[in-house]
Amino acid sequence: MSFLVLDGIKKSFGPTQVVKDFHMAIEKGEFVSFLGPSGCGKTTVLRMIAGFENPSDGTIFINGRNQSGLKTSQRNIGMVFQAYALFPNMSVFDNVAFGLKVAGMSKPDIDARVKEMLRLIGLEHLSDRYPYQMSGGQQQRVALARALAPKPQVLLLDEPLSALDAKIRVSLREEIRQIQMKLGITTVFVTHDQEEALSISDRIVVMNAGRADQIGTPSEIYNRPATRFVASFVGTLNIIDAIVADPAANTIRIGDNIITLREPIGAFVQGDTVSIALRPEAGSLSESATGDTALTGTVVSTHFLGSVVRTKVTVGGNQISFDMFNAPDKVLPQPGETVTLRFAASDLLVVKE
Amino acid sequence: MKMTKFFAWLAIAIGVIYFFVPLIGTFEFSLRMRRGEYSFDAYDSVFSDAAFRATFGFSMLMALLTIIFGMLLIVPTAYWVRLRVPQMRPVMEFITLMPLVIPAIVIVFGYLRLYNSSSYIPFTGSTFGTNVLLVMSYITLSLPYMYRSVDTAMRTIDVRTLTEAAEILGAKWPTILFRCIFPNVMSGVLSGAFITFAIVMGEFTMAALLNRPAFGPYLQLVGANKAYEPSALAVIAFAITWLSMGLLQLVSRFSKMAPSRA
Repeated sequence: MSFLVLDGIKKSFGPTQVVKDFHMAIEKGEFVSFLGPSGCGKTTVLRMIAGFENPSDGTIFINGRNQSGLKTSQRNIGMVFQAYALFPNMSVFDNVAFGLKVAGMSKPDIDARVKEMLRLIGLEHLSDRYPYQMSGGQQQRVALARALAPKPQVLLLDEPLSALDAKIRVSLREEIRQIQMKLGITTVFVTHDQEEALSISDRIVVMNAGRADQIGTPSEIYNRPATRFVASFVGTLNIIDAIVADPAANTIRIGDNIITLREPIGAFVQGDTVSIALRPEAGSLSESATGDTALTGTVVSTHFLGSVVRTKVTVGGNQISFDMFNAPDKVLPQPGETVTLRFAASDLLVVKE
Repeated sequence: MKMTKFFAWLAIAIGVIYFFVPLIGTFEFSLRMRRGEYSFDAYDSVFSDAAFRATFGFSMLMALLTIIFGMLLIVPTAYWVRLRVPQMRPVMEFITLMPLVIPAIVIVFGYLRLYNSSSYIPFTGSTFGTNVLLVMSYITLSLPYMYRSVDTAMRTIDVRTLTEAAEILGAKWPTILFRCIFPNVMSGVLSGAFITFAIVMGEFTMAALLNRPAFGPYLQLVGANKAYEPSALAVIAFAITWLSMGLLQLVSRFSKMAPSRA
C-alpha cells in the first residue's frame, strides 16, 4: 500500500460539492503538488488530509492507518500555511519549540532539535527575534522549521509562497525542495502557480472543479496534457481548429496545409472539426529547423518580451502564437509577411475535452 | 479657511472652558479647608478616614475580581464566536450592548428579585453571596467595553490560522487559548481591564442597593455630610479615571509597536 492514500474522497459544503471522487496514492518520500485555479478543491483536499475538514465520503490512509476519527492533533502531520501563522508572542526559538514542548520533550532534547532545525533553514542567528522583526521569506522558513521539528510523517504546504515576492518565491521553493529531499519526507504542496509545481514536484495533480483531471510527472503534464483544461492551464497553448482529411491515414488540414499526426485522431470522420494543441515554443521560423511538418501563414504581430520574441501568425483562420529566443542580430518577422512555421508532427496533440 | 480655523479653535476653547473650569474650581475649593490659606487638609482628612481606606480597598478588590472573572468569561466566548460561530457576532454585540440600554437600577432590582434570600439561588442571604452578586453585576456593566476591546484585539490576529497551526502541532484547547491566543489579545484585555477598573471604582447604584461598602456609596455619603472633603474625593476620583485612561493609551501604543500579524 502507498504511504498516503486518498480513496474516493468527496466533500460537500451544503448543496455544493467541492471535491468529487478524488483518488490519489502518494509514495513515501514523494513530493506531490496539487495544481489548479482558485476554487478547484485543492486546499480542501489538503485540509482533509490535515484533519481540519472531514470528508463527506471516502477514506484517507497514512502509513496504512485509517485517519477517520483521528483529530488533527493526533495525526502527526506538519503544515505550512500561506499566511505563515507564526505565534506573534513567541520568538523564533519558541515557535520552533512549540510542538516539541506540547509533546512533552525534555528541555535538552528540545534545545538540540530546535538548533538542528534552525541550522537546516540557515537562521540560527535569528533565534531570539520575533516574527514582526523578520521578512516574509524568513518567517516562512521558520514556519517550515516549526512544521518539521516534531518529525511529522507527512508535510503539507498550503500555497506557502503566495505571499512572497517573485525572487524570494523562486529561491525559497528550491530551498523547500532541497530540505524535503534531504529529510525524505512525504510532501503535498498546494499551488496555483504552474512554474512552482513544474519545477519542484515528483508528480503533479492538476485539479479542476473538484476532480483530478490528470496525475503525472511535470514532463507528462506539460508535454502530454490529457484534457483541454490541463493543456490550457499549464503553459501557454495554441488551440487550432483543424479539419479531418483522412482518419485512416491520421491526416488533418489546417488552411491549405495537410499534416499527418503521430497519435491517433480518434473517433472522427472526414470533414469533422478536431481541436489540435501546439505549444508556442515547439515551432520555429528558421530555415535550418529540423521539424518534419510545416505551416505557411501570414504574420499578424510580433512582440518583443525580452529573452523571448512572440509572433502571431494566421493559418487557415487560426491564430497561432509561437516563441523564439531573442538574438541581437535576429531580423524579426513583420506584420503581413508570409512565413513558414516548422515543427515536429509529434508536437501536435489531439485535445480531449 | 482662516474663518474655519478660527471657529475650530473657538469650539475647542469653549469645550476646554466647559470641562476644565468646574474642575479647576473643584480643586481650588478642595484646598480651602484651612481658613485663610490653601492647604491639603481636606486630602489629609480623606486619606486618614478609615472608611475611605476600607471602601477604596473593597472597590479595588471588586474591580480586580470583575476583571479576572470577566476576562475568563469574555475571552473564550469572543474566541469561540470568532472561530466557530461567526454568524453569532451580531447577537453577541446586541447582548453586550444591553447593559448600556438598561438602567443599572433596573438590573439590580432584577437581581434582588431573582437572587433574594427567599429564592432558589439566595445570593443575598450571605455577605459572601452578595459580594459574588456584586461582581456579577459589575461584569454585566463592563460587558460592552470588555467584549469590544477583546473582540477588536482578536481582529488584529488571524485567530483561525493560529488555532489550526497550534492544533496541527498537537496542542489541545487550553494550550491554544492560554499560550497562543490570550497573549496576543493582551492589549485588548488590558484596555478592557482599565476601563472596567474606572467604572467599578465610581459605580454607585449596584453597590448602594446591594448595601455593600464600596467607594461609590462612600463618595455619596461624604458628599451629603461634609463640605471640603467631597471636592477632594471628586478630584481623587478624576485622578483614578485619568490614570486608567493614561495606562490604556500606553498599552495601545505598546501594542502598535509590536504588530501581531499571523
